[in-house]
Amino acid sequence: MRLDPQNEVLTTDAGEDWRQAIDAELNAWEQAERERLGLRQARRQWVDEMLTPEVKREERETITLLVSGLTAAQDFLVEGALRGVGYNVKYIGMPDQAGLQAGKEFGNRGQCNPTYFTVGNLIKYLIELRDVQGLSTEQIIRDYVFFTAGACGPCRFGMYVTEYRKALRDSGFDGFRVVLFQQQGGLAQATGEEVGIELNPKFFIALIQALCAGDVLNAIAYRIRPYEVNAGETNRVVEDCKRLLYKALQARSNIFAALWQCRKRLAAVPVDRLRPKAKVAIIGEFWAMTTEGDGNYHLQKFLEQEGGENDIQLTTAWLLYNVWEVERDTRVRRDLRQADGGRLGLADYSPLAVSKRLAMMRLADRGLRLMFEAFAQPIGLTKYPLPNMDEIAEIAAPFYSNDLRGGEGHMEVGKLIYNVVHAKAHMTLSVKPFGCMPSSGVSDGVQSLVQTRFPGSIYCAVETSGDGATNFYSRVQMYMFKARIAAEQELVETYASCGVTEDEVRAFLAKNPKYASPLHVPPHVGACTAANLVREVAPLIRQTRAERAAARTRGALERVGSMLRAAPDKARAAAAWAQDDATRERLSADVALVRELAQGGARDAFAPLLRKLGAGGLVPDAKA
Amino acid sequence: MSSSARTAPVVLGIDVGSTTVKAVALDPETLDVLWCDYQRHQTKQPEMVVEMLETIEAAFPASPRDAWRVFMTGSGALPLCAGLGAKFVQEVNAVTLAVEHKHPDVGSVIELGGQDAKIIMFQTDEDGRKTAAPSMNDKCASGTGATIDKCMIKVGLPPEAVRALVFDPSKLHHVAAKCGVFAETDIVNLVKSGIPAAEILCSLADAIVLQNLSVLTRGSTLKPRVLLLGGPNTYLPFLQACWRHRIPEIWEERNFAWPKDRPIEETVFVPDNAQYYAAFGACVYGQHEAEEIGRYRGLDGLRDYMQNGRKARLGASAGPPLVKSSDEVETFRSLYAIPRFSPPPLTAGQIVRAVIGLDGGSTSSKAVLVDEDGEIVAKAYQLSKGNPIQDAKELLTQLRDHVEGQGARLEVLGFGATGYAADVLEQCVLADVNVVETVAHMMSAVKYFGDVDVICDIGGQDIKVLFMKNGDIANFRLSNSCSAGNGMLLQAMADQFGLKVTEYAQTAFQAELSPKFSYGCAVFLDTDRVNFQKEGFSKEELLAGLAQVLPKNVWQYVVQIPRLASLGRRFVLQGGTQYNLAAVKAQVDYIKERVPDADVFVHPHTGEAGALGAAFETLRVVKRRGRSTFIGIDAAIALDYESRTDDTTTCHFCPNECKRTFIDTHRPDGSTARYIAGFSCEKGTVESHEAMLELVAERKKIARAFPNLVDYEARRAFQHFYEPEPIPHEGTPIRTYEIRKGFLGTKRVAIERPFQRATPEAQARLKRVRIGMPRVLNMYSTAPYFRHYFEALGVPKQNVVFSDETSEEMWVEGGKYGSIDPCFPSKVAQAHVHNLLFHQHQPDKGKPLNYIFFPVLTHVPSFIEGVMDKTSCPIVAGAPEVMKAAFTKEIDFFAQRGIEYVDPALTFGEPHLTARRMFECFGPRLGITEDENDHAHAEGMRALAAFEADLQEKGRAILETVESEDRMALLVVGRPYHSDPGLNHGIPEEFQVLGYPVLSVRSLPRDPEYLARYFKDEVARGQSPLDINDVWPENYSANSSQKVWAVKFATRHPNVALLDLSSFKCGHDAPVYGLIDSLVTTAGAPYAALHDIDANKPGGSIKIRVKTYAHSLKLHQEALEDEARKKRALQFSLEQKRLELLERKRAQLSQLRRDDASLDAEIERLAERLRAYAPAPVAPEPTPGLIQISERLADGRRAPASL
Repeated sequence: MRLDPQNEVLTTDAGEDWRQAIDAELNAWEQAERERLGLRQARRQWVDEMLTPEVKREERETITLLVSGLTAAQDFLVEGALRGVGYNVKYIGMPDQAGLQAGKEFGNRGQCNPTYFTVGNLIKYLIELRDVQGLSTEQIIRDYVFFTAGACGPCRFGMYVTEYRKALRDSGFDGFRVVLFQQQGGLAQATGEEVGIELNPKFFIALIQALCAGDVLNAIAYRIRPYEVNAGETNRVVEDCKRLLYKALQARSNIFAALWQCRKRLAAVPVDRLRPKAKVAIIGEFWAMTTEGDGNYHLQKFLEQEGGENDIQLTTAWLLYNVWEVERDTRVRRDLRQADGGRLGLADYSPLAVSKRLAMMRLADRGLRLMFEAFAQPIGLTKYPLPNMDEIAEIAAPFYSNDLRGGEGHMEVGKLIYNVVHAKAHMTLSVKPFGCMPSSGVSDGVQSLVQTRFPGSIYCAVETSGDGATNFYSRVQMYMFKARIAAEQELVETYASCGVTEDEVRAFLAKNPKYASPLHVPPHVGACTAANLVREVAPLIRQTRAERAAARTRGALERVGSMLRAAPDKARAAAAWAQDDATRERLSADVALVRELAQGGARDAFAPLLRKLGAGGLVPDAKA
Repeated sequence: MSSSARTAPVVLGIDVGSTTVKAVALDPETLDVLWCDYQRHQTKQPEMVVEMLETIEAAFPASPRDAWRVFMTGSGALPLCAGLGAKFVQEVNAVTLAVEHKHPDVGSVIELGGQDAKIIMFQTDEDGRKTAAPSMNDKCASGTGATIDKCMIKVGLPPEAVRALVFDPSKLHHVAAKCGVFAETDIVNLVKSGIPAAEILCSLADAIVLQNLSVLTRGSTLKPRVLLLGGPNTYLPFLQACWRHRIPEIWEERNFAWPKDRPIEETVFVPDNAQYYAAFGACVYGQHEAEEIGRYRGLDGLRDYMQNGRKARLGASAGPPLVKSSDEVETFRSLYAIPRFSPPPLTAGQIVRAVIGLDGGSTSSKAVLVDEDGEIVAKAYQLSKGNPIQDAKELLTQLRDHVEGQGARLEVLGFGATGYAADVLEQCVLADVNVVETVAHMMSAVKYFGDVDVICDIGGQDIKVLFMKNGDIANFRLSNSCSAGNGMLLQAMADQFGLKVTEYAQTAFQAELSPKFSYGCAVFLDTDRVNFQKEGFSKEELLAGLAQVLPKNVWQYVVQIPRLASLGRRFVLQGGTQYNLAAVKAQVDYIKERVPDADVFVHPHTGEAGALGAAFETLRVVKRRGRSTFIGIDAAIALDYESRTDDTTTCHFCPNECKRTFIDTHRPDGSTARYIAGFSCEKGTVESHEAMLELVAERKKIARAFPNLVDYEARRAFQHFYEPEPIPHEGTPIRTYEIRKGFLGTKRVAIERPFQRATPEAQARLKRVRIGMPRVLNMYSTAPYFRHYFEALGVPKQNVVFSDETSEEMWVEGGKYGSIDPCFPSKVAQAHVHNLLFHQHQPDKGKPLNYIFFPVLTHVPSFIEGVMDKTSCPIVAGAPEVMKAAFTKEIDFFAQRGIEYVDPALTFGEPHLTARRMFECFGPRLGITEDENDHAHAEGMRALAAFEADLQEKGRAILETVESEDRMALLVVGRPYHSDPGLNHGIPEEFQVLGYPVLSVRSLPRDPEYLARYFKDEVARGQSPLDINDVWPENYSANSSQKVWAVKFATRHPNVALLDLSSFKCGHDAPVYGLIDSLVTTAGAPYAALHDIDANKPGGSIKIRVKTYAHSLKLHQEALEDEARKKRALQFSLEQKRLELLERKRAQLSQLRRDDASLDAEIERLAERLRAYAPAPVAPEPTPGLIQISERLADGRRAPASL
């Protein structure tokens, strides 16, 4: 019999099932009651849905990788190089004011302007694709991917990937993919997974070639431009060279031949190296000193207009710093009685793995230097020593702990001291974004002490905020005046001390075009290039061949003498080195590494470096 | 020889500054001045230069023009150079050369310009060569002439009186000179507090001088003689006197030998003709240039530039105009112009029954008379005069006269006040309502527009943006102490051009293009304005450009929510600025561009929105209560008061010695109310020492009832609270590892060996050694470790010394050594090191410090799991190195006192490395063994763990209490060092005294079982509750990660409200602003933020935030209580239903003649429970918010909205 025809739940009397039926009835009742009473729903919680962007293998033909962030030459060449390995690539242009505005609108307040500029530059480009070229948002999200290095480390810019996601979401490109170098797993990619962006050695080599080619071209152009006789000629030739290199990278033809072609073009730019130019070493925050656009108010160009010769920082040097960081962090932890965990701890490494990691870094350091030289020599970039990272670290250490990271770490301080001690520049200019944490917040504070300890240094620290260019220029000009006077004085004193006149030197150069060549670099004595040239040629003007030969012989004898005097010590040191456990350990690690490399199994050893390099500028937009 | 007879060429130096053009003509051989003049250019720089050159040409008719050379300097010179053939010379170079030429014995130069400040310090190197080290404040207008000019106007002293002022260092008040805008705000507050003008200007001068001395000198000491240059230094003797007062003070402090035998007027001096130094120096610079440089090309080029070049250059960089056609203006005007208010006519004998709402604003006060139906009867307005009682009396008189003037009779039903005057009016006229401005504005907007989503109020000094949900404030943003983008900016711009602000719009609408201002800081905007003017933009264009900045400042700078559409689509604009249609147009365009279907309304009584809100609330309160407490309009107008500012009113409770104003009002019933103005902290609110003690006791009582773990954490971290285990005896066997180097690398081998102890001498020395540490930055995260590390080694606990807590006095005293200007928490480290050096180091009392220990902490402890890293902020980590530089640069203050400064790099991410580094540092210094070091390290870590455990235990107790009592607790999310009361300005305490227990991030329980309740989703997907990778994988920063986690916790705990504290310039907080916003918004958790906290305590801004947030917390608490009641009701209803179902089942079974004993027992138990249950009646659903929201029906009538 049915007790309640409206209510099926109570009709059953089989065993304990009716209890479940009552529970179900109560549940329904509860829902209705909750509604009646107006009880609040549980809070919703936010999670970021954009954390794992994927690019699939089958998308490779249809997607376009967007890149940007380094010097104009490098960005352009990266585009060519990656096209050469089979990707559709688009360089989206140097970040400019409009990019900054977009970055500020869609970014968090209180960010630094490299973040605003780079993030805004991407947003600006996407908005242009949508609003000007008429692509739908869906199309843009489907067909374009921004490819960048994931930064790491303790400054604002180190966390800028967060900012990409926020800005993309807020500007209406929710779901647009920003693919990070590390997320793709570095060389582990080569295991054959079907991924869209395959970071295999071919990809790497293409990238490194583009960066190196860009580096050497920039370095040589900054050497020639201040002295060019015909205004604008260097830039025209550099544009030619960029196209030549681009073609070679895209076609994967011989890059060294292309560099040689560039050399010929560069060698034909007439220069007047007797102009007293103030040598300005540009240091500071990586992006601010690297970009060549609105991001630093076209600083490099401005300095040249004001009578300066720029000594820029190369991407290769930055990579060397990354290598140094891994090497040092490993070294200081190796001898702990117990290993720590964490990002830098060695708890997961066997003694041999630690040694191999150190060997790897030695190899990376040498490899980078060798590669740089291999690119520098054919294009005619000679006597361009890359900085010795240990030396920079050592001279900075009393002022700035080598353990402090973020931005350039101790390098700013080290480089200022180095420039003063070795007379590398008349002026050291440190450019950084407004409120840059490592640079304005720490280095500048320490530099005030360095300046008192190393008097005579002209040091100019300037911040870029993206606006107020007039004040920025004014400040730079203030220091440039002093630097120019110093350069002029150096040249005047050199003429006097060498006993030659400008006319005599000019006459000599006219007769000896080798010394007047734009590719010729006189030996470094002081900061002023013109003065160095005078020092080099003065003996050729003033002294007879016999006198010069005698002077050379005297010099050689002195060198031999000092070598002989130092020989016993050196021999003892060498013997100690050969018997040292550390040496043997090093050798054995090197051997093991070479064996593994030969067997193609060095991926694990590469991993920390790759993470570092990925974070450190190997690809556009990359820094720590 | 007269100039007219001169046949030799001349060299011209022209200095184009921000307000004047100065020119000199010199003899190129001797550099003798042949002619000089200066004129104000009224922003027509090229015109003035042409005029002056014409005069010079006329003065030297016989001198060959083609041999003249021109060198120009100054901020406005660059664009003019090309036309004249002149060479541009950077100002500082020009001034340096002039000074070197004229005063070879000068050691430093201080030049205050209109827009910038410069300090040049000359140094002589080993070779006797003199080099100049210049420092320039070019970005920020802190401490420049512009600030002085603006403040002179605010103070209301005529220029002659200002020039006659005498500097009196005995009566100085706090003025923040860090930023021109902050300074202005402080000045306005001082004016309102009735501080005499002379004292205010002296305080400003002092603040500017100290700002320049501390920041611009970059920590260096000025060398005598000191030359003062620039307009303010030249024309303001009291400013000169201030330099002469402060500079020797620093020399004394730093033991610098200065010529005391010479009159100070000679040591710190202003030269004759100071205004011409830059122009003169430009000519000296010319001597260094080749002959062909700077050849004068006559005036044609410059004239051509004025006519053609200037405009042509602009086109490229300019943005669009505000309106494209006059039709657009008309259409816009018809839609948005605020209708003119005409008060309804009254008839003779009519009785007007109405309430009064009064808004005592920062610059102006308004009052409205609102009748019982909510219609406005009359309005009154006046500029604030600094005395809120007098202002109120005058406003009330206006209202009464309006009514009685028409023969009607006024019956005041109630009185409500808002704004800064509300507190005093509540006391002296017994106002019915004292409501915070934000809430008043909300009420008024809701009354007129119903269910709006966003209310944007732009007043003279601030911006308030309220986000609405269910008819109440769901969230809000207020401009910080920085006034970027408020109405004052537009007002000031109109003033610059001699326009009334009412003419702003019609002028701006005429522009055909507009310069693109960068948005943000008002001072930077002014710099932009000067630059644009130099470039030749007209006033119409500048006004248009500036109006367009306004929405950017509101939405991007203050609100920071880029996707406006996410806020809703109904926007209300109100506040006095909306009378300016140019501002409204820019706002509407901005909003519509981003939210195309937006409805943007302008409040019809835009200036009186606050007063109206107060009136509406008064209506509600009085109706509900049935009576008013107001003393009556006549009594209020007749209110008798005395205002007194003299020695007897000075507050002596702290060294600030605030000169307060007492306003005593006598109510008709004979009682007196005293209002105290002009104090900078709460201590100033009481009159006597007894009252002070009472106040303190009262606060303590509340503090005991409502614990404040932020405060507890700040104190506890530095105390001795853990007894370390004694060091093992020599020879005690210990298990450890040994490092063996071999062919295959370094191996660790486990061994057992005897414990090694230090020598008896070293052990004895440990009893005497005294170590000082600054109570600052990362020490808030790690101090328990360091204290107990040293104690475990045998250092007596009284010999482990921390600097005092941050205080304003400490900052004023010790804040002059830094060479950089980072966030305040980092900057204040110098004051702590100073405190250790000058106060904690007491050799005369037998208590010297042997070491000042300030470790570089690259990584700090963090409890978040699965993070990328646990790094500290680089500025914070690097602060010890910066301090080392600051205190050893010129004088080694440590060496001078025989103290060693020790700052090893430590990482709390890697304990073994930290132990090793501590040993490397203190092994040699204290003579301890590595075993002893490791023991002390382990004890330090245990102390740190005990500290954390204690905090969590207390936090858990609070959470469980508020949960059981349906109350709210306030979770302060900040960096650990925000627990420093000197950094958080006592804001957590403000909430504590309101009755909210305060939690800190580290006091949140981290027990996985406890957390599993709140992090159900995470646990379900196998993620640790302490993992934040689902919201922020770039979690490198330890403190930011903890902050994000704490916010996640709060969004999951219904009884926790958030208070987010962040310091000005904080680079590690910047990336998480957006994340926190997403978390909080999605969950709808109560949240308030005070970002940009800096050295100065923005009292007003804090107050309004606390009050507004208190209002929403109250609503949240009510909602919690309702929720709890409803839950109980639900429980009852469910049990009842269960009983009903069970009884029916029993009936069913009995019909089947079956028994079930367990069912019977169950029914009995349930029935018993239900009988005992007396449910509280469920209250009717309360009206959402404070105002009933209505919506417009199809027939135009309004009815309660269905929400």
